[in-house]
Amino acid sequence: MPSSRFNAFTDYGIGIGLRIPHYQHILEKKPVVDWFEIISENYMVDAGRPLHVLDQILEQYRVVQHGVSMYFGNASRPNRDHLRKLKKLVKRTHTPWLSDHLCWGSVDGRYTHDLLPMPYTWEAVETTAANIREVRDFVEVPIAVENVSSYAEFHMSEMSEWEFLNEVVERADCGILLDVNNIYVSSKNHGFDPQVYVDAVPADRVAQIHVAGHSKFEKYILDTHDHPVLDPVWKLYAHAIERAGRTATLLEWDDRIPSFQDVHREALKAARFLPNNEAVAA
Amino acid sequence: MKPSPPSRLVDLQALMVRAVMRPLTRDDGMQRNWTDGSATSEVAAQFIRPNDRLDSFDRLQIYNQQYWWRLLGNFEEDFRGLRAVLGERQFDKLAVAYLDHCGSRSWTLRDLGRRLEEFLRAHPDLTAPQTELALDMVRVEWARTVAFDEAEKPPLPANKVRNIPPELLRLGLQPYIVLLELNHPIDHLLGKLKRRTEIETGSVSNAVSGVRSRGRRRLTARPSRSPIYLAVHRHKFSVYYKRLDPEAFRLLCALRKGAPLDKACEIAFSFSSDSPEVMAEKVQSWFAAWMNFGWLTRPPAV
Repeated sequence: MPSSRFNAFTDYGIGIGLRIPHYQHILEKKPVVDWFEIISENYMVDAGRPLHVLDQILEQYRVVQHGVSMYFGNASRPNRDHLRKLKKLVKRTHTPWLSDHLCWGSVDGRYTHDLLPMPYTWEAVETTAANIREVRDFVEVPIAVENVSSYAEFHMSEMSEWEFLNEVVERADCGILLDVNNIYVSSKNHGFDPQVYVDAVPADRVAQIHVAGHSKFEKYILDTHDHPVLDPVWKLYAHAIERAGRTATLLEWDDRIPSFQDVHREALKAARFLPNNEAVAA
Repeated sequence: MKPSPPSRLVDLQALMVRAVMRPLTRDDGMQRNWTDGSATSEVAAQFIRPNDRLDSFDRLQIYNQQYWWRLLGNFEEDFRGLRAVLGERQFDKLAVAYLDHCGSRSWTLRDLGRRLEEFLRAHPDLTAPQTELALDMVRVEWARTVAFDEAEKPPLPANKVRNIPPELLRLGLQPYIVLLELNHPIDHLLGKLKRRTEIETGSVSNAVSGVRSRGRRRLTARPSRSPIYLAVHRHKFSVYYKRLDPEAFRLLCALRKGAPLDKACEIAFSFSSDSPEVMAEKVQSWFAAWMNFGWLTRPPAV
């Protein structure tokens, strides 16, 4: 979605994830990149090299925070220590919005460090929305929730994934980080039409879009972020852009990471689908 | 006892996390039997829907595998020295035992090894016969994590302390400094491991073939004749090891505990036969180095 209250009325273009193997290139060559997404947890430390690098990046670039362990869908409330550290980082980065996943991942203080799928129930809708509201009220920036890739569905589910997403964001009054690769992966694993999912999402709440690569196995697809984006995912991205308009887009590449130039070049392929394209070369 | 099908979010999450965190079998699959001896496939079928390609067990197994592969990968990365000391097989067994018992209690994987030393002290069989060496290695490897990103306070300028009498002068140490008394030259062993890894990965030369088998050799060291005193610290965003004289080590430990400078010196030199002049000279040179590193800070508020 073009600038809206869900992305703090910003107009970001195509970004890439800030990853350690690219630090040196970025700091030395200062390539033109519209924005970087950081994994919040990697910088929620007290001092040392991660924050030193981040501060240098912040002098040159726009940064958006993306979390991996807030676990909005946990049956328990958000971890207060985590929230305090997150807010401290928010003050440092001035991230215009903050994203994390529509999933759960810890029970009684034991963490899986995974993005576990939600049961799509009304009880889970209420719990998740309440957790998102609590996080937003604490960190005081707009929140966007990201749909995850999943490999399992639950008997207790009472609605489809997209219906669940819509109910959660409506009740939490938050934005959506629409990961079209995750939609594609889950559609293959669970046998639904990914276009139906994209069509069902409220376009006015889409604050950001993720694209990424995945890996195909014999009986399922895994969200590995270690490949270029595959054609069906680009097609789904094009469809999402048709619905949502020019939206901040980010390529995730987290494993077997190639050179900065290769990653940026792959990300800039998204420019073909964006209206009023003003993307810059790597 | 076989769990009943969950109907509430909290029950589903408790059941699934229990399944996901159960150790994998030798061939990296999910355990066929549940904790009560019944079939895991039956438990999985109670809450996970099958599809046309995967049954409930297979779908749950994906999460079980992802959990273990992720945690084991991170654990191995943090404790490469321990792995080199114990060898692959013993290390893998230890890693599963530790993660099964302690798991991760933090939202960040950075803290994964926080309780390893304590766990290994309680389970010496996991590191036998290299228990002492393994414990030294774990202490240094955890200290590296602390030194890498622990807080840094403003260093204390020399002119702020110059005129304070020693009996009133209390100093703090940077939180990122870890002081260790060791029985083995772990700093040298880690240097050796680093060089070995560089050769194996070709980051120093292209001589990869033929050296892989050397890389699998266990890292070993005899106990040192006398204790080794080591500060694991950070300088210009990199982690370093600095060996300390026994007196310097005791002095820093005493300062960290809150002793005033005169008392800390007394503790430091309690076993020394040095003359007062030599002691003064040593203290002066240590302080010059520590000030230079920015190790000294205001004492923590009481």
